[in-house]
Amino acid sequence: MGLFSSMRISGSALTAQRLRMDVIAGNIANADTTRVNGQRQAFQRQQVVFQPLQAAPNSSGEGLQVAAVVRDQSAGRQVYDPANADADPNTGMVAYPNVDTTTEMTDMLSASRAYEANVTVLNSIKQMAQRSIDLGRA
Amino acid sequence: MPISSIGGGLSPLTTGLPSASPAKAAGADFGSALKDAVGALDQLGKKADASSLALAKGEPIDVHEVMLNTEQASLGFSMALQVRNKLVDAYQEVMRMSV
Repeated sequence: MGLFSSMRISGSALTAQRLRMDVIAGNIANADTTRVNGQRQAFQRQQVVFQPLQAAPNSSGEGLQVAAVVRDQSAGRQVYDPANADADPNTGMVAYPNVDTTTEMTDMLSASRAYEANVTVLNSIKQMAQRSIDLGRA
Repeated sequence: MPISSIGGGLSPLTTGLPSASPAKAAGADFGSALKDAVGALDQLGKKADASSLALAKGEPIDVHEVMLNTEQASLGFSMALQVRNKLVDAYQEVMRMSV
């Protein structure tokens, strides 16, 4: 049905933005994580990669999907703190994650606004459908 | 100055109209079409019910998914209701017809 297909498009975008929100929450939660799987290693921030959801190669797209969640390989910050349990025994440096809380916050705002935009689209679609049903009401 | 008849350039109105064909030409009669539509509506309702139940049971389902499904079911139902109203109107119109 044509009406519900446009609702599915916006719905897929909502799902994708929710997943992006989850990844950002994970990044902020792990902003000071210095141990991964029991090993002394800084957490690497994760990013989502979006791609259009396409049924056919040349179709205009049927929504949005998350292609992958990738790790940011850039170097994190190093802090001299020999007392830390995860400090390098030779240099006394602690490797902290490459998570920048400011970046994550702006990403979060962006995800939240994108979600709102898609909700607005959905409301418009719903109103259009409602108006067309009202056409029949005498 | 010769005066030509104005009807010359006009073609009969009926040529553009589809010829009246019997209702069964498409292969589907009204009853089965109605049955299909009601079945599709029922599917929407069942989907909405299932997702609300999943949310209530705490299964990992997004809230917007549930809202979308219930909204689709609600829109589908209002549409069906309007179609039904139109059908009843048509019936009453025929019944009011004076013979």
